[in-house]
Amino acid sequence: MSHYVFEAQEISQLYKKGKTSKLANDNISLGIERGEILGVLGPNGAGKSTLIKQLVGQLKPTSGRVLYEGGEVYAQSRRVASEVAYFSQDPHVLSDLLVMEALVFTARLRGMDARSAKREAEALLGLFEMSELAGKKLSRISGGQKRMVGIGTALIGHSPVLILDEPTNELDPKKRRLVWNLIEEHNRQGATILLVTHNVLEAEQVVDRVAVINHGKLLAMDAVAKLKQRVDQRLRFEIGTAMGQREAAERELAAWGIVQEGGENRIRLLVEKHRAAALLEMIIARTDLPIEEYSVLPPSLEDVYFHIDREAEKGEVVHERVG
Amino acid sequence: MRGSVNSAPQAAIAVPTGWGRWWTELSILVRIQFATIRNSWVWIIVMATLIPMTTIIFMRFFITDPSYENIVQILAGNLLFGIIVMGLNGLGQEISFQKHQEHFTFYASLPISKINFVLANMIRGLMSTVPSFVILLFLGQWMFDVRLHVTPALPLVALLCLTSVVGVGIILGFWSPSHQLTNILCQALMMLITFLSPVMVTADQLPTVVQWISYALPTTYAADAMRQVLLHGWTTGVMLDCLVMLAFSVLSLFIVGKLVSWRVNR
Repeated sequence: MSHYVFEAQEISQLYKKGKTSKLANDNISLGIERGEILGVLGPNGAGKSTLIKQLVGQLKPTSGRVLYEGGEVYAQSRRVASEVAYFSQDPHVLSDLLVMEALVFTARLRGMDARSAKREAEALLGLFEMSELAGKKLSRISGGQKRMVGIGTALIGHSPVLILDEPTNELDPKKRRLVWNLIEEHNRQGATILLVTHNVLEAEQVVDRVAVINHGKLLAMDAVAKLKQRVDQRLRFEIGTAMGQREAAERELAAWGIVQEGGENRIRLLVEKHRAAALLEMIIARTDLPIEEYSVLPPSLEDVYFHIDREAEKGEVVHERVG
Repeated sequence: MRGSVNSAPQAAIAVPTGWGRWWTELSILVRIQFATIRNSWVWIIVMATLIPMTTIIFMRFFITDPSYENIVQILAGNLLFGIIVMGLNGLGQEISFQKHQEHFTFYASLPISKINFVLANMIRGLMSTVPSFVILLFLGQWMFDVRLHVTPALPLVALLCLTSVVGVGIILGFWSPSHQLTNILCQALMMLITFLSPVMVTADQLPTVVQWISYALPTTYAADAMRQVLLHGWTTGVMLDCLVMLAFSVLSLFIVGKLVSWRVNR
């Protein structure tokens, strides 16, 4: 039996439209190990969804090979469909169904008998605190509730491989926590999980390894701890600025380290450890700086992600590996 | 890593095989398809009935003293036209719509067969076509004051008419590079096939070249079978037409099975 559940070997995807063409994936090689949770991180348009469609056999790469359990994925599409549950971002196809129908029908099509399908659907709705919505049409419930039903359709039937595309988008914090717990629970039961997400901070709690993708390239792939070593000589400064003063503060701080995306009136600064004390002293001494609050934290997976992306933007050598 | 690398993967549910599974799969797919029209089926029937009914009314008032054969020609042509609208135009557009709404992403991620998906779409189409077919059949007889041969052979002929023409619609729907283009192609092809074969007129009214072309189209045999079965019931001629339509249906299914790939975009 292959060490990998899925393996992509030097896959590229060229989309052609008229005279223009776009390289959505560029020579990506990676393997998903049995029993792991692999997180795929990257901004919008990075090529994550293309990669997933290639892995599940719904998109044939322009070049390269995709293997499932050691065999060509396209030669065993029915087996892949039987064993891999795929949650795509918005299952429009189900929107005319009732909530209970969506879950039961999916389970039945995965091979469950009617009684087990109904029992499991009821249990999932109970867990999601959505039992009262069982008889409602999907098109009549909120985006977050719809997403929970979509996640339910991926979880129902206990497939040995789960592929989840942005499972926690639109969910409130309580539901997000529930989804992460469910993902961990399925993994504990032996499921291999591929997780595509923007939510780097939350994903950090559950993923074993991370693949960072941008501009169709695999920028890095390793265990979270190993990736963090890339920035472990740094500390993260979370800085809150006075209203409308973000740019002014950023100009003063840019020389101290790497400024990352922080949001409105917030600056995230990655600073070398040996310069952190001096920066702190400067912030305290300079009362003219429009800084209202600050905190110093160890780097997170999100910092690693920004660091890798920045390295790639600068054209520095990036680490690529299979597995 | 929480699950051990060397541990056996969680066992997938063994998807049953055989007729029981086939039936479960088809019935669930039909229920998913039906869900899309369960709140609007009355309007869908009205729309499916409107064009052929308008044609019948138009012909009733503008054709003076039609013979019994002429009336059957008009009614059979319009009944068949309703089937062509659904089988070629409707199915092609519907499959194309589902493709561009990314419904295939959901279906292709489940262990279901393409043929069952197509059958479910056809059955959904029949849910609107059958009522309009029956309405037209009885309305036409009442308006023209004639009695047609409504025998058990009629549903068989109607079903074969449908299965013999759906192939092109299905292929167009799956191939569909854009929904707009598929709409145009389906409608153009529907009109072309209808007017290149003796659906609305008798074969001898068509130019000779078109008559030759019409032999290659399933609608020619469908129109003849429909006319004959309404005129005389089940005859040897109807049986031969049905055999040709069966051959077209098998060929369509074969082509769809071999050429159309719905799991993989290339």
